[in-house]
Amino acid sequence: MNRGPFIFVGLFIVLAFSWANLVNRPIQQSGQLSAIYDDSERKPRIAPGAADQGKLVYQQMGCVSCHTQQTRLTVGSDIDRAWGIRQSVARDYVGQYPALIGDRRIGPDLSNVGAKELDSEWHHLHFYNSQITSAGSNMPSYSFLYDVRPVIGQPSDRALDLPEGYEVDPGYEVVPTRRAEALVAYMLSLKVDYDLPEAPSPEKIGL
Amino acid sequence: MKFISNICSSLWPELSGELKGRETQWSIDSSIRYPLLGMIKPAAFWFVVSLIFGLIASIKLHSPGFLGSCEWLTYGKVEPVFWNSLIYGWLFNAGLACAFWLLARLGGAPIGNGFLLTVSLSIWNVALVVGLIGILMGGTLPLNWRESLTVSGQLPYEWLEMPPFIAPILLASFIGMGLWGLLTFRERVHRASYASQWYVLAALFAFAWIYTAAQIMLIREPSQGSLQYLVGSWYANNLLMIVIVPLALACVYYLLPKALGTPIVGYNHSGRAFWSWFIFASCAGSAELINGPIPAWVTAVGIIAAFGILYPLTVFGIQFLSTLFANFTRIWDTLSLRFVLFGCIGFIVFGAYYIYGSLRSTQEVAQFSSFSNGVQLLGLLGFASMIFSGFLYFILSRLLNKELPSAALAEIHFWMQLSGVLLLVSSLITGGLQEGELMNGSTVSVLSIVVNLKSYYVMASLGMFLMLLGAIAFLVSFTLFMFSTRSEKEETGTLIGESPELEASVS
Ligand code: HEC
Repeated sequence: MNRGPFIFVGLFIVLAFSWANLVNRPIQQSGQLSAIYDDSERKPRIAPGAADQGKLVYQQMGCVSCHTQQTRLTVGSDIDRAWGIRQSVARDYVGQYPALIGDRRIGPDLSNVGAKELDSEWHHLHFYNSQITSAGSNMPSYSFLYDVRPVIGQPSDRALDLPEGYEVDPGYEVVPTRRAEALVAYMLSLKVDYDLPEAPSPEKIGL
Repeated sequence: MKFISNICSSLWPELSGELKGRETQWSIDSSIRYPLLGMIKPAAFWFVVSLIFGLIASIKLHSPGFLGSCEWLTYGKVEPVFWNSLIYGWLFNAGLACAFWLLARLGGAPIGNGFLLTVSLSIWNVALVVGLIGILMGGTLPLNWRESLTVSGQLPYEWLEMPPFIAPILLASFIGMGLWGLLTFRERVHRASYASQWYVLAALFAFAWIYTAAQIMLIREPSQGSLQYLVGSWYANNLLMIVIVPLALACVYYLLPKALGTPIVGYNHSGRAFWSWFIFASCAGSAELINGPIPAWVTAVGIIAAFGILYPLTVFGIQFLSTLFANFTRIWDTLSLRFVLFGCIGFIVFGAYYIYGSLRSTQEVAQFSSFSNGVQLLGLLGFASMIFSGFLYFILSRLLNKELPSAALAEIHFWMQLSGVLLLVSSLITGGLQEGELMNGSTVSVLSIVVNLKSYYVMASLGMFLMLLGAIAFLVSFTLFMFSTRSEKEETGTLIGESPELEASVS
């Protein structure tokens, strides 16, 4: 092994093997997936425009460091926790760029959070200060996505209804910025509550 | 035992240089002093910076209010900044400085092209600053900036979070540095090559390859949905396993015989260990994607490959540890060797955890927990960072022809880094297993899991803090090294004489 070229050619082959098998082959196999239409319903769903902007906020804030968007059926307790209704499959992510799948869960999985009974008011309070809705949580406060401004005339109907202990100075109100509105719209749009033929679910495998 | 007989038959590259001894070494060192110091300076800086971010991120997990109102320092930004500055800042600069030094020394002749190296490494570091600021700015820009090239939101791929426009600049400057390494290797006087050189060349080549592939498949021509997840994890695994680990292995192969004065035990197994490491380690990463939205056979391949790592790992373990323990009494007195000893032990433990972590049954418990971050940090901080630190002390006194300015500072660096890594990694790994058990094995609410894990988070912060102290000690030590005036003995250039230990390998 005295020759540089030998190392380079050898390594080229090794890396090409790794890339061709573990990256390129799966892409050839399942990279051409497309959405399916079922009773004129598109699966996966297309999120509304506001949600698209919210996704960008989600990216910018790095929510993916703490939240995944994938659920597993045969292992873990994702289904029991109601984080999803079935196994996540490749088709669920068709058209997503970037796909915010994630591999670290400090908080819950969010792939189906829009199907939960959490309304936009709850999400706003939670983002403004997670302690309001979830005392003891280590989810950061995103209060910088909210404007604190003096009430002029009528209070805004979008102002947060802050509970005791979290109020701002009298005469002021807390109003979501466009970014906060977009982020909440994105949360509410996250719904994987439809079935796909290839996706294993508890019913299909008889769990 | 076979390995003992191998001591005698160890393959040694032959000495064939024209100039011999300290004079050649001195002329080699002078030829690369300027660019190498140009890498060690940012390395020391990034070491401190990355651990400051690591500490902030870690504190935020148990005290979320800490710096809570600052948008630039929200958890989702400081965490990737920590990883990126640790890897591309500290480990790349330090690792490449060590690698280039040993390429030059093993080549046996003074090296030109310093300009190429200096320019490339300056661009690399400036681009890195811009890229990290890009992550921190991720959110302050108005939404309608999304169409612009500059800030398009943080990318959600591990260790690739920097804004896309930075990537070509980083790649180009890396290729500049890599070319320098290649030219140095080509111009060597000693025709025979040594294991350290293979690992360095391989790491240089591997990074250019995986970074290009990842950039194309994630950013220029993004692959579809769930496959991005696959490409991202392929990149991150390979960055750790076939770029950073080989750089550190190169240093171990060089430093052990140099500082101990004996050849590596069982050196003639190195070729097989080299190839098997690259073959298996480059395929092993997908084991962690088990049960995800990707084809199941991909993870099966990953698991099998992870088992393949057992072979090179055993060879490394036997080679390094037997060489070290055969000379145990000398280790404690030589600072560099102490770093290397613990680095090697860290490597074996890392390898064992890596294989353990790719088991199906481990993933069932530990998937998505802090376990895998703990294993990664064991490889990055417990192994690579330990080795590079030891190696930097070794080369600094030779490059500058000065004595270590303060043994006490270096001791602080050593003990803080060792205890910090132990605390940090053990809290992430054991905490991660417990976290996983609760997250994956029960339906206990996430809120109560967070509360439950608080003591582990605090322990991790303490570990980060100790490491930060160590990094600061290194920075101060390095600054003193640079600015101290030479003593008379140092002036005459005879400080590092032709001690027998330096005769053990080529130059
Ligand atoms: C430090 C880690 C962390 C970060 C960063 C983080 N979260 Fe969370 N998140 C949590 C934890 C822990 C919980 C569970 C406790 C709670 O409700 O706060 C949670 C809960 C949630 C929930 C409620 C889910 C449910 O099923 O109850 C939503 C929605 C959410 N996070 C969205 C976000 C968004 C959007 C971001 C980025 C802007 C984000 N999180 C960033 C840790 C984090």
